[in-house]
Amino acid sequence: MRLQKAMLVFRKDWREVSRNWEVILPMIVIPLMFSVLLPVVLALIPSREAVPGSSLGGSEEMLRNLPSSVRDQLVGMTDRQVQFYMMSLYFFAPFFLIIPLMASSVIASDSFAGEKERKTIEALLATPISDSELFLGKILVSFIPSMMLTVISFLVYSTIVDLLSFSIFDGKLLLPNPTWIMLIFGLAPTAALTSIGLTVMISARVKGFREAQQISAVLLIPVLILIFGQLTGAIFLGPIMVGALTGGFAIVDILLFNMGVKLFRREEILSKLA
Amino acid sequence: MSVIETEGLTKRFGSFTAVDHLSFEVREGEVFGLLGPNGAGKTTTIRILACLVSPSEGSAKVLGHDITSDSLRIREVVGILTENPSLYERLTAYENMDFFAEAYGLEDQQERRGRIRELLEFFELWGRRDDKVATFSKGMKQKLAIARALVHRPPIVFLDEPTAGLDPESAKAIRDLIEGLSHHEKSTILLCTHRLEDAERLCDRLMIINRGKRVIVGTVEELQSRMGGKPVLQVTLREASQKVVEAVRGLKQVKQVDADSSATKLTIALDDIASATPEVVRSTVHAGGMVLSVNTLHPSLEEAYLRLVKERSS
Repeated sequence: MRLQKAMLVFRKDWREVSRNWEVILPMIVIPLMFSVLLPVVLALIPSREAVPGSSLGGSEEMLRNLPSSVRDQLVGMTDRQVQFYMMSLYFFAPFFLIIPLMASSVIASDSFAGEKERKTIEALLATPISDSELFLGKILVSFIPSMMLTVISFLVYSTIVDLLSFSIFDGKLLLPNPTWIMLIFGLAPTAALTSIGLTVMISARVKGFREAQQISAVLLIPVLILIFGQLTGAIFLGPIMVGALTGGFAIVDILLFNMGVKLFRREEILSKLA
Repeated sequence: MSVIETEGLTKRFGSFTAVDHLSFEVREGEVFGLLGPNGAGKTTTIRILACLVSPSEGSAKVLGHDITSDSLRIREVVGILTENPSLYERLTAYENMDFFAEAYGLEDQQERRGRIRELLEFFELWGRRDDKVATFSKGMKQKLAIARALVHRPPIVFLDEPTAGLDPESAKAIRDLIEGLSHHEKSTILLCTHRLEDAERLCDRLMIINRGKRVIVGTVEELQSRMGGKPVLQVTLREASQKVVEAVRGLKQVKQVDADSSATKLTIALDDIASATPEVVRSTVHAGGMVLSVNTLHPSLEEAYLRLVKERSS
């Protein structure tokens, strides 16, 4: 496989995508909402101390199920500090898995299905770019921009969280910490690759972009389960869990790529021309 | 030397047979036409030869490479104008060309630029190179798509309906370009068309296919002669004269004489036009006929083609 050819497909697709504001706008807006709005909401909600008799809502369950190592970190903190610490470092973490998935879903759904709809696919398939190069190129054009957005969102989120934690924790900065670094640079890319790989495979097999996007929306369900699992305390995204999930997704990614290339059939793609 | 050879090429889509045991060969440097009505199997044949679709049965070689086992190599040596222009409308003409040039292996940027400029100038699109393809007319898109098919100097070019959907002026411009192209690029061209004027003007040889089956192969003249009969002599007289008709009918070289309703135009079937014409003219004049013109009428490919396709379909 020639990486240069895959990058050629990436560059061509990115040129097209970057000139399409219908794709670019939601790609930028959703991460911005997560990275700016989540910490702002966190700053605005009143602390437990300020509202007598209030609770931490869904986080009560999570607090009860926390591993002892995390509970030790909370020793000596005020309720306001516990609330901020738990929400900013644990509650909101799974949202940063949604960012690459949502950002990539539009491009990945469009990868082959869009070319079929715009009737550009035949000339592309006629080139001497191999199946694996074509498949990888289509994955990269979804993966690279979505991961860039995820990292930028993480930097924005970290900056806002640190600005807030500086006053709440008397000069202490919470982010980045090792778990978040593992999450952003390990789990997010491997999970995104799984979702992108599956979406590109779906895109090659359906007739149109909308169909591909509707089917690929199902891929968000595991991440939503992770969010609710974390809220209910059933799952805890600590370093061990993040590491294990990263490893698991990495294996799935390798298997998925090989399967995607094996199942990639030019003839079948052409037969699904709209 | 044959650069394309097919043997019993067949493609079935479920119970429908799009290409039915097609065997033919294309010689190096010729413009070979695949002529047939819509749905005859022309596009499927090109897709099989371009390794986009695999055959259900039979075999084919392109420049000696087997289509089933050496598809990547075939894609490198073939340029293709697909049924649709297949251009990226959000990219400029130059960006489209640059992508395909690199995809087809032109790694050196300077070389790519030179080649793209050469082609866009030939197709009179260099001035619009930085415009997005979305702003191009249908004819311009078609020109650009042909230029793209040639960007890597392929020894074999497949052109699928290059003038389809174009207005007569644009279609003529594309025909002129393809004609120039076969001399300029010295490529072997496999031209797929349902337009007789394209086939007649551009093809050295052509094969008529109908319902996926080969009907006939030959040069335009051979096909005209084999399908539409031999050329006939037409003599136009100033005045009608039954005496002239009888005189011509009496000649031993003459097989048949048809006169129009006014009997001023005689259509004469002869064994050998070249040797018999002087004798026909002499007899006409001798019988008192005043000859205004003498023409050799070749049967039209269109008539012959339509008759053939109709015969096969019924």
